[in-house]
Amino acid sequence: MPALSPAGGVARFLGRRTVLPGLLLVPVLAFFIVWNTIPTLWLLGLSFYRFSLTSGRAPIYAGLLNFQNILNDSGVWLDLSRTLLFVVSGVGIQTVLGMLLGLLFWNSQRLPGRRVALTMLFAPMVLTPVASGTFWRLIYDPTFGVLNAMLRGVGFSGANFLGDSSTAFAAVLVVDVWMWTPFMVLMTLAALASVPKAELEAAEIDQLTWMQRLRLVLLHHGKYILMLGILLRTIDSFKTMDLIYNMTFGGPGTTTQLVAITLYRRAFEAFNMGWSSALAVILLLISIAFTATFIFVLHWREKAEA
Amino acid sequence: MTIQPPNGAGMNRRTLLTGAAAVTAAAGLTFPRHVFSQTEKGHPLAGKSIRMAILGIAGWLPSKLGVDMSPDFAKYAKARYGYDVSFSFADAPFGQLFQKAATSLATRSAEYNIIISDSQWLGALATPKWIVPLNDIIAKNKELDVEWYAPVVRQAYQTFPDGTANRYGFPQEGDTFALFIRKDLLDAPGEAEAFKARYNMEMPKTWEDFEQLSIEDYTKLAEFFTRPDKGYHGAAMQYSREYDFISCPLLSFMRSQGGDVWDPKTGQVQGIIDSDSNTRAMTQYKAMLKHQPPGAINYGIAEVIDVFTQGKAFSAWQWAAVGKAMIPASMQGKVMVVPPPGFKQADGTLKRDYIIGGQPWVLNAFNDDAHARVALDFMKWWYLPETQMEFAKRGGNPCDKATLSTAGFDELQPWYRTYKYMLPRSSDFWHDAKYSEMLAVQQEAFTAYATGQINDPAHALAYVACKQQDILFDSGTASKQPSGACSGIRL
Repeated sequence: MPALSPAGGVARFLGRRTVLPGLLLVPVLAFFIVWNTIPTLWLLGLSFYRFSLTSGRAPIYAGLLNFQNILNDSGVWLDLSRTLLFVVSGVGIQTVLGMLLGLLFWNSQRLPGRRVALTMLFAPMVLTPVASGTFWRLIYDPTFGVLNAMLRGVGFSGANFLGDSSTAFAAVLVVDVWMWTPFMVLMTLAALASVPKAELEAAEIDQLTWMQRLRLVLLHHGKYILMLGILLRTIDSFKTMDLIYNMTFGGPGTTTQLVAITLYRRAFEAFNMGWSSALAVILLLISIAFTATFIFVLHWREKAEA
Repeated sequence: MTIQPPNGAGMNRRTLLTGAAAVTAAAGLTFPRHVFSQTEKGHPLAGKSIRMAILGIAGWLPSKLGVDMSPDFAKYAKARYGYDVSFSFADAPFGQLFQKAATSLATRSAEYNIIISDSQWLGALATPKWIVPLNDIIAKNKELDVEWYAPVVRQAYQTFPDGTANRYGFPQEGDTFALFIRKDLLDAPGEAEAFKARYNMEMPKTWEDFEQLSIEDYTKLAEFFTRPDKGYHGAAMQYSREYDFISCPLLSFMRSQGGDVWDPKTGQVQGIIDSDSNTRAMTQYKAMLKHQPPGAINYGIAEVIDVFTQGKAFSAWQWAAVGKAMIPASMQGKVMVVPPPGFKQADGTLKRDYIIGGQPWVLNAFNDDAHARVALDFMKWWYLPETQMEFAKRGGNPCDKATLSTAGFDELQPWYRTYKYMLPRSSDFWHDAKYSEMLAVQQEAFTAYATGQINDPAHALAYVACKQQDILFDSGTASKQPSGACSGIRL
């Protein structure tokens, strides 16, 4: 039996089916463990402690007390219900508008200025929410704002969009829709691009109506990408904080206080780390539930169609 | 004992000390004479270079002056102590500054050597031992035991816990509420006569008249000058949910009418903040919105500056600290700064018990010896009479008795007379580690009532009382739990 050289041994070791892919994954796994798994476990651990950063006292183990306090806090439930309303209405409007605009752009390939229009359309999405929130606050301002100036210019009386508890929620929702509809346009365009050309031609030969074409061809092929867009937007919308914080600070009163704002305030204004960690864990579980539900629905329909 | 040099040859301690003395003497002889003559002998940092970092409030003039003047300290330190010092600055707006400081200090970082804190944060910074207790330092450095213009300066900017002798802050700037009035509108022909005809009283014209002005009479004045057709309204006050913007003026209304927010000795809130008198103050403060521009419900410090300087308000309730911004060049000569209104007491006298503004310097407890020493030198320089006078000339608000009692001080800035008048008539609220948590609840409830989310001021106060009592009981400050009436209370 010939003796193996060390180089040959390494090559054989790396040549094994599982070793090289495993080694290539190590950097990503290490990054994931350091920046994701450990902080999440730390967060989970902290949620079982009573710990305020400004109390000067060491954390005290409190079992499920933080979770119990959160579940008994009517304010948190109100914030959660407000958040769900924000997510459902916001993502719903963005999806419908995004699909409509996406179809419009898809059908207007030869329209002059299409690229410029698309670039302008995507601009809100690439702005930081802090900047968007700040300039929308100025746009809405009843004294100096351009929107009220325009309203007054056409004979309406001005309105305090962000200061009036009856309009503030809708006003921040409009900004969220303005900001994130382009994302759904992008997802729609990606979804439409995934439709095989042959099927589109077949639909044309078969003289399918526009609605039939949309349902049987476009949505049939594009639904996975659209679903992914909705899922990403839902998770992201559930975490909305900076945009609203810059416009209303969650006010007037608690009218625009979403649960992420509550979490921010309790964690980084009040420094109540135990309670905040418990709320973060609950929000994480809700986000996971959203994801699981979407994936389940997607697979369920897939199986039903099969 | 023998110190072994690298070449292995022995050198005894006497030889080494003699050599060191010779080197020091040589250095002394070659040092510039004018510096040597002023340099404090034996400063441990002499000859070294130090880099200091200050964290301050973004867009806040007195805070900016504190850092703007630091190059003067660098020159002073070089001449007096013989070391080079340079400064870097970081800032954040009021609402975010505590977070920026706290998250850094929580990691035991000396990223910011000196921090301009808000007065109410002393408890939150001192409790976890993030800032340096100053009693021993002041005892050893008598020049830091400054005589203040009013006892409130020490209470608000230095003391924690309330009522003790423990000091944690050095006053950076003092601040009080002031009423900024458009004197040109007040003095316009026919106004005084029209006012008298409408209200059967003389229109206040002078600083002394305003000193005697009650909130009821001020409301008449605000109503009189509310002229939307001409593009301006009678008043501009703060109602924003940001930071403590609605709390400060509203608590001033409460305190000036006999109300309070808590008992600092027992931590009791219920039964104090939710009093009938405070409920009336809530209604009164909300009613002032009638005489303000649309959108006043969103006003914070910046918005009040904007509406006033753009001529959209006849009067503005504002912090003296932003006096320079309230009276830009275009408004010079048109603005008078007077005490905000008094509140009539049962005996007919007027009372002003307004919330104090202003900020102390605090020193990072994690500074190394060198940075701690420079921070101390900086404070000594800060309270030099010439430094304080320079601060005043640039528009800062000093607090020391010597500067404020200097002849001509009142005329240095248009708001100084009022600032000096209001300082003893102002007080702080909560020096407690749970300050920010209590404030968040309060801001939420006050704005919920002011904006019409809820219509019952008593309910808003009951909510505040329950939540704050719970926070203080949970932290061990209050001995009593919230009462049964608090169960399930919400806005």
